Amino acid sequence: MNEKDVTRRDFLKLITNGLLTLSGLLGLGGIFRFLTYQTDPSPPTEFDLGPTTNYPDGSRTVLPRVPAVLLHTKDGYSALSLVCTHLGCTVNEDDSDGYVCPCHTSRFSANGSVVRGPADRPLRALRVEEHDDGRLWLYTA
Amino acid sequence: MKRTISFAAGILVLALVFSAWAEARRPQPMPLTPTLTGETEYCLTCHADLEEISPSHPVETYGCVVCHGGERLALDADLAHSTMRGGKNPSDLAVVEESCGGSDCHSGQAADERDHIQRVLTSVQATYAGAIANIRYTFGAQPDLNAYLGTRAVQDTTTQTGITSLAAFDPARETNPALQTFAENCLECHLNSEPRPGDEYARFSGCAACHTPTATTFPPRSRDAAEGLVHTLTTAIPYTQCNTCHNRGNYDLRTMTFAPRDDQPADRIHDYYQPIAQFTRCEWTLDCIDCHTRSESMGDGDIHNNQKEIQYVQCRTCHGTLDELPHTRTLTDPNDLAFRLAALNQGARHLELGDTIIVTETGEPLWNTRQLPDGTFELVGKATRQYFTFRPVMGTACEQKPDEQESRYCHQCHSAER
Repeated sequence: MNEKDVTRRDFLKLITNGLLTLSGLLGLGGIFRFLTYQTDPSPPTEFDLGPTTNYPDGSRTVLPRVPAVLLHTKDGYSALSLVCTHLGCTVNEDDSDGYVCPCHTSRFSANGSVVRGPADRPLRALRVEEHDDGRLWLYTA
Repeated sequence: MKRTISFAAGILVLALVFSAWAEARRPQPMPLTPTLTGETEYCLTCHADLEEISPSHPVETYGCVVCHGGERLALDADLAHSTMRGGKNPSDLAVVEESCGGSDCHSGQAADERDHIQRVLTSVQATYAGAIANIRYTFGAQPDLNAYLGTRAVQDTTTQTGITSLAAFDPARETNPALQTFAENCLECHLNSEPRPGDEYARFSGCAACHTPTATTFPPRSRDAAEGLVHTLTTAIPYTQCNTCHNRGNYDLRTMTFAPRDDQPADRIHDYYQPIAQFTRCEWTLDCIDCHTRSESMGDGDIHNNQKEIQYVQCRTCHGTLDELPHTRTLTDPNDLAFRLAALNQGARHLELGDTIIVTETGEPLWNTRQLPDGTFELVGKATRQYFTFRPVMGTACEQKPDEQESRYCHQCHSAER
């Protein structure tokens, strides 16, 4: 076919088909994007704390990324959430082995019980597991 | 037919291209999931540079929406702001219960000292009941000086004062024109009102009237504050904030107008206070909140007739009298309110169990005071962090008469030379 054979009809047909194809592809792209949309991930509820050797007997380790504190006593491993039970601020360690909330000054003892309000519930105890590979895992859910 | 299909396909392509362009222009959302709500919000996409409002309200715990309202997932400014409570000020008393209330926040139990909103709503600062009663009595609209009306209708079901409610003051129902003029010109200094125009009056309404310092006149503060762009809540309230209402001039009862002072206050003692009044050193070196208590300023939960009924701190509260030392309390209970108040005004005073502080006649802790080992007392300025020491009157050469114990008698000898 030489150039003279491309009629106006053929040209319009080509444009029409091109537009239809493009709109179809864009539409499919939108549907694909809709179907594969990833929502913001939920906060993690399981934390690999590393080898148990990092937490010697008698240690008290604050884990800011949880936030929690890991205790290793003669009874084994335990953990307390450092989320204040009043409104959810992160509590800090105080100078008497307890915890104090920087938002509204709730105080908790070393074992998490309420010393001073406005919080009226103890800090939440979290589950800690020692896996066969010698690593500690913390679960917040 | 083909032409129609071609046209429709063209429109579709244009629409899709426009959508892609519009989305490309949209900012990348900055999600925040506050601990308190657990619901993601995108406010920080545009407001990430806003200063933290207070140490008690960290944004990662509260987010923005729980206080301000708004559409938490909207990225369009108009849509995001369309359902905000109180505009820039969620503490406006019209919306404060929804914004700042809740039993764990500022609408809790009186026994826990967490009934801030209930107390403020019935306080004289919000009802303006004394001024309204005074003016209505003066112009014959009521038989006595008791409070019957407030800026808004309020109720108190657990009244200790005998006043169970106030109806809303409605100028349209007043027959005396002076009272209507009063309503037009003289109702700009209470917590329900917007301030008069002018930098010297710049403040918000509601809680932020006091807790969000915006004063621009003395000392000079940022223009941002004057334009309502300040994002701060504090209990360290400087006296300049009090003076956005107080000390600004006088009301002329003949014309029922506000007559603002025509000078620009600069020197606190010589220029600031009303010329006819007397002031002791405490009153012009300390901030108002260094002596006046939370129940005086925010109310005690009861409806009162006027300011005089609720304002009770006097010189003797801290200094005692010739016969009596000031009331004190040694802190033995870790749940003592004094600890919470001190901690919320961070850095002003570190109280410890065993400290002895001054308390008022009603038992309110003046947590910024402390008794020193030699029997004298120390006070720290809540806003200035300055330390002052003072001693009780007892044992001094003061010749105060036993029956003249009010502050006005102290002023006769101890007022500043002006």
